[in-house]
Amino acid sequence: MNNDLERLISLHDLDVMISDLQNKDIRKQEKKLGLSPAAAVTELKKMRCELALLITRRNRDMYDQLASHYGNAVVPVINERCSGCFTQLPTAFVASPDRNKQVETCPACGRFIYWCD
Amino acid sequence: MKRPIFSNWSITSVNRKAAISELLKLFPFQKTSEGLLLTALETREQAEPTIVHKGIAMPHCRSILVDDFMIAIGKSKKGIPWPVKKVKVIILFITPVKPSGPEEHMKLIKHLAKLLQSDGAEKLLSADSPIEAASILKFTLQESKQNE
Repeated sequence: MNNDLERLISLHDLDVMISDLQNKDIRKQEKKLGLSPAAAVTELKKMRCELALLITRRNRDMYDQLASHYGNAVVPVINERCSGCFTQLPTAFVASPDRNKQVETCPACGRFIYWCD
Repeated sequence: MKRPIFSNWSITSVNRKAAISELLKLFPFQKTSEGLLLTALETREQAEPTIVHKGIAMPHCRSILVDDFMIAIGKSKKGIPWPVKKVKVIILFITPVKPSGPEEHMKLIKHLAKLLQSDGAEKLLSADSPIEAASILKFTLQESKQNE
């Protein structure tokens, strides 16, 4: 898999983790378990900054724009459709031998797309 | 909460990352997804070790790489440094990122918190088999070659 694509997926999962730990209900449950969600969020935000710097500027900026617009900037391709906007992807995309070897975006919504293993 | 889970009741790994990796191998992931999930779970652990009771760790995350709940339980007889305090039982789970939000993820944490806060944690630590552990957690053990 393309290095930037791997990092974009990790960045997305990290953003979800941070968002979850800022969710009032999840925070309450994690505290019940003896965990410290507030401290974890601080650390995760530092790690996010470090990870984001490893992504090429163009993709990083695009990720931030997509995330603020849609909430999710990276989505898997399911049944040859972008799972963000459900648009059927062109045959050239689907048949490409370079799946996941380069960073691809959905031609309809612009989200980063990847093929599940 | 009857969810199918995988298990490895004789974890041989001697450190946290390797133990998480050993449990991830129970799932039918391809190498790339497995590696990315290991990174996500280990990142969460680096932010704060998820020791939820003496001897029990609960590595967990939500990820776009899964489309259903992935739960595994593991036990190490010798204990695994996590990274300082030793852990004998691991409850690992990954929940999917859905448009509906983190509701299901929250429900699972709530379910586990409730069980562990009662006498579930002690029962889990003394469970002799994954079937017994699954029953304590109110999960259903998934058929797998590696379940012991």
